[in-house]
Amino acid sequence: MRRKLDRRTVLRGLLAGGLVTVGLPFLEIFSERSASAAPDGLPKRFGMFYWGNGVLPDLWVPTGAGANFTLSPTLAPLAPHQAKLSVVSGMKVPFVNAVPHLSGPVGFFTGKPPLKNDPGAFGAPTLDQVIADVVGADSRFRSIEAAVQPGTTGLSFNGPNSPNPAESDPAALFQRIFGPEFVKPGSTAAPAPTLALRKSVLDAVTEDAKGLQGVLGASDKARLERHLDGVRSLEQRIQKLQQSPPNLVACNPPKAPKDTFPAVAGRAPLSEISRAMVDILAMALACDQTRVFSLWFTQPVSNALIGDASAGHHQLTHDEPSPQPEVAKILTQIMSELAYLLKAFDSVTEGDGTLLDHCAILATSDCNYGRQHTLDDYPIVIAGSCNGALKTGLHYRAPSADNTSKVALSLARAMGLTLETFGAEEGKVTSSLREIEV
Amino acid sequence: MSPRTSSQRPRPRSLFATLATLKRGGAALAVLAVAAGAGSCKGEGTAATEPPVVTGPVGPAVPTLSAAQRLTRSQYAASIHDIFGAEVVVPSALEPDLALDGFEALGASKSTVSARGIEQYESAAYAIGKQLTTDPKLLARVLTCKPEGPGDAACARAFVSAYGPPVYRRPLTEPEITAVTSKITTSGLALGSFEKGLAFGIATLLQSPSFLYRGAVGEPDPERPGQRRYTAYELAARLSYFLWNSTPDDALLDAAKAGKLGNYDGISAEVDRMLASPKARDGLRNFVSEWLRLGELDLLQKDSKLFTTFSSDLGAMAREETQRVFEDLVFDRDADVRDVMTTRRTFVTPKLASMYEVPAPSATGFAPVELPAGRRRGLLGHISILALYAHPTSTSATLRGKFVREKLLCVTIPPPPANLNTALPEPTEAAKTLRDRVQIHFTAPTCASCHLQMDPIGLGLEQFDGIGRGRTKENGVVIDPSGTLDGAAFSGPESLGQLIHDHRGFAPCIVRKVFQYATGVATDGSEVDTLDALLGRFIATGYRMKPLLAAIASSPAFRSFGAPH
Repeated sequence: MRRKLDRRTVLRGLLAGGLVTVGLPFLEIFSERSASAAPDGLPKRFGMFYWGNGVLPDLWVPTGAGANFTLSPTLAPLAPHQAKLSVVSGMKVPFVNAVPHLSGPVGFFTGKPPLKNDPGAFGAPTLDQVIADVVGADSRFRSIEAAVQPGTTGLSFNGPNSPNPAESDPAALFQRIFGPEFVKPGSTAAPAPTLALRKSVLDAVTEDAKGLQGVLGASDKARLERHLDGVRSLEQRIQKLQQSPPNLVACNPPKAPKDTFPAVAGRAPLSEISRAMVDILAMALACDQTRVFSLWFTQPVSNALIGDASAGHHQLTHDEPSPQPEVAKILTQIMSELAYLLKAFDSVTEGDGTLLDHCAILATSDCNYGRQHTLDDYPIVIAGSCNGALKTGLHYRAPSADNTSKVALSLARAMGLTLETFGAEEGKVTSSLREIEV
Repeated sequence: MSPRTSSQRPRPRSLFATLATLKRGGAALAVLAVAAGAGSCKGEGTAATEPPVVTGPVGPAVPTLSAAQRLTRSQYAASIHDIFGAEVVVPSALEPDLALDGFEALGASKSTVSARGIEQYESAAYAIGKQLTTDPKLLARVLTCKPEGPGDAACARAFVSAYGPPVYRRPLTEPEITAVTSKITTSGLALGSFEKGLAFGIATLLQSPSFLYRGAVGEPDPERPGQRRYTAYELAARLSYFLWNSTPDDALLDAAKAGKLGNYDGISAEVDRMLASPKARDGLRNFVSEWLRLGELDLLQKDSKLFTTFSSDLGAMAREETQRVFEDLVFDRDADVRDVMTTRRTFVTPKLASMYEVPAPSATGFAPVELPAGRRRGLLGHISILALYAHPTSTSATLRGKFVREKLLCVTIPPPPANLNTALPEPTEAAKTLRDRVQIHFTAPTCASCHLQMDPIGLGLEQFDGIGRGRTKENGVVIDPSGTLDGAAFSGPESLGQLIHDHRGFAPCIVRKVFQYATGVATDGSEVDTLDALLGRFIATGYRMKPLLAAIASSPAFRSFGAPH
C-alpha cells in the first residue's frame, strides 16, 4: 500500500536540513505502513533505553560469541534474560568524534554526524522517530519519551532543534497516559460533549496558522508546520477518545505512582523513579496507548550521583583511577534497571508469548569508553525478538569495525519498515546487520 | 535627521572584528585539533579604542536574521499574568525551552514544539480558561457585560474585542474576531452556559500561534528602500519581551497603533518609559538567569553528607541573590555594571548569611549586607556561581574557569580532542590539592592550550568549596589561590574579580551577550559594526546597563528585519 506523501513529510525534510538534505529514508518509509503488526496480530513495539557516559570496555564485552557466550561483569544483571537478548559488539559510529558525548548518539540514532557542537544539532530524526513515523499513527500516542534523572530531556529528535522532550516526572507521565482521559480497551467511551468542542478549537487554531503560513519565511513556515503536526496528532487523539477501543487482555492499568520522589541526602532515587517509569511504560504498550517509547536514564555528560558513588558519574569516568571500580558499580546498577524493565515486560503475557517478545528494545549509551569518549566497539544490547524478526540469545561480535547504522536499519526493518538505507555520508548503509535478523 | 552614528567615523580595526577573526580561527584550529589530536585555544583581542560620545541611534542598520520566537516558559507565564492578573495560576508543565548558544532566547527562534508540547499548551489553555470563568473575581474582570443567555454574541464579542489584542499583541482582524466569538457562543449553547463557552474562547486565543509565537513578518522600511523592518506591533513585542520578558502593555500597543514606533525618537520615548517600569527588573533578571545559566540551579545536586548546608531550596535562593545584586546595581544605583565583579554588597537570607559566615541582616527573607573585606566579593563569591560551576561532591577548576572564559569574556573553549585520556590523578601524599593534581593539564601539550585558559582562573577560586563555602585548606594543605589572568597576576578571588572587571574582554562580552539575547539570534560576524558602536556607547555612558539596554532597543539593527533564513 502506497501512502501519499503528505505535507508533513516534505516539511520534515525541510526541517531536517534547510532544504538541502531532504532525508530519503523518510520518503521511503511511507511506502510501508501496515507492516508493523506481527504475524500473531499483536502490534510490534520499539523502545530505547539509554544512559550517559559510556561503559568500561573491559567489563562490558561478553566472552565467547554466537549462542555460547558468557555475559560480562557489567551485563551480569541481565543474565535472567540472556535467552531473550542479543549483545552486539565491535560496531563503530563511523564519524570523527568532534563533539564528545554527542557524536556517538547523534551518529548512531540518525546515521549522521552532529551538525555542530550544540544540543539541537540532530541533522535527521532519531531512530525512534523514524519508526514512530510509520507505526505511531494507530495508537493514542505516536511515541512516549520518559526520563529518570530529574531534568533529563533525552535525545529524541525530529530534526534540527526539534526535540521531543522526555517526561521526567512519573506522576505526570501516569496522568498523561492513564489519567481521566484514558479509555480502557474493551470498555465503552463515555459520551463527552467537550471532546467535539476541543476538536473544533483545534480546527480554529489550524485555520489561524494557515493564515500565517502565507507570510512567513521558509524556516518559520517549517516550524509552524511542525507545530501543526502536533495539533493534528492531538486532534486524532481526541478522535480516538470518542471511540471504544477493542479489548486487550494484557492491558491491566498500573496504579498511580507516588506524587514526588524527593532526593535522599542530595541524591535522586533513580532506581525508584526508573521502576515507576517502567511500570507505566509496560502498560502503556500493553494497553496499546503507544508503540514506540524511549527511556532516558541519564543525559550525555550526566553528573548524577548514582547509588552511593563518591562523585558524579561523569566526573568519575574521567577522574577515577583505573580500573574505575565506582564507574563499574554505577554501570552495573544501570544494567539492573534495564533488567527490571526486561523482567516487567516479560511478565506481561501477550498472545503466545510476552510483551517483551513483541518488542525490539535498543539499549546503548553516548560512547564506548567514557574516559576517552571513544566511538569504536559501541555498547549495544538488543532485547526482545520483535515477534520473531530478530535473533536472541546471541553475542554478535563484528569482525571489523562495522557501521552502527546497520543495527539501526535492522531494527527499523524488524519493526516492519522497508527502508532501503539508513544514514548519510560515512554513516550511510544499504544493508542491515543480517547476523542478528531471523 | 538623526545624528550620525559612531560607526560612520573611520576607526582602527575594531575589537569585535578582531574577536570574530579569532573566533573563526579558533573554530578552524579546533577542527585541526580534532584531526591532529592537539588542543587549541587562542587568546584575547586587542585593546578597544574609545569611540566618541554620541547620542541618538547607535550603529548601522545591519539586520539580524529574523525568526518567529516562541514564547519561553517564563514569557508565557508573565504574559498571562500581565493580561489576566497575577493571581492566575499558570501551569508549569509547558514544553521545556531549548537553550542554543547559551540562551533560551536563541532557542526560541529555532526550536519547534513537540507533540507533547502541543498537548501541554492545550491543557494550560483550558486550565487558565477554567480559572478565568469560574473564579468570580477573575470572571468579573474579564467579563464586562452581563450575558443574556448561553449564546450571547454581543457579550462574547465584547470579550474578544477587549482581550484579543493583548493576547495577540495586535488588533484582531474582523474574521478573527468573528471566529473566536462564534467559538464562545457555539460552545456556550452546546454546554448551556455562557461562562463555559467563554472558557473555550479563551482556550482558542491561548492556543493560537498568534499568541504562542511573536510574529516576524515585517514590512518595507520607508527609510531604507528595498529593505524591511519589523512592523510596529512586532517591534512592540520585540521591545517588551526584551526589556520586560513579558507582553506589551496597553500604552506600548497604543504607541504602535499611533505610529509612534516608526522613528528613533518615538521608540526612545517608549524605551525610556519601559526602563522606568518595575517590569524592567523582571527583564533584567531573566537576562541574567539565561546568560549565567542560573535556571540550572533548580536541578542543583550536591551530596548533602559532604555539604551539610545543602538543601533543596538552596539553588533557587542562590539565584535570587545574584539576580538581586544585578537589580540593585542596575536599577537602584545605576552603577557601572562591571562592579558586579567587585561589589561587597549582596542580599542574603539567614541561611546564605550563615554560609557566608556573616551575621544575618534579617530574621527572614532577603536583606542587604556588606561582606567583610578579605574573604569574598562580587559575582565570583556568589554561591550560585560557585555551586553551579562545580561537581556534586567537589570543586572544579575547569568548570569555573570555563564559566569565566565563555560567559564573562566570550571566549569559546572547544571540546577536548577525541580519544584523549582525560583522567586526573587521585590525591596522593605528594599531590594533595587540586592545584597539584591538575598539573598534567599544564604540562601535557594536548591539554595545556585550553586548560591554561581555564584552570588557573578556577584555581583562584579554590578557597570556596564545591557548594561555595569558604575554606583555607584542602586535605590539610593550605590552598594557594594565586595565579595570572592573561598576563596579570592575582593573589586570590578578590583580586581575580578586579582583573575581570578591568579585563578588555569583559565589557565587549556584556555587549555581545545582551545583543544576542535582545535579538534572539547567534552573532555571525555581520553585526560587528553594530556591536562596536554599542560598545562605544556603553563605554561612553560609564558601563551602565540601562543606557546599553536603551541603545540596543532603539538601535537600527534591532528594528531592521533580516532576510528570512
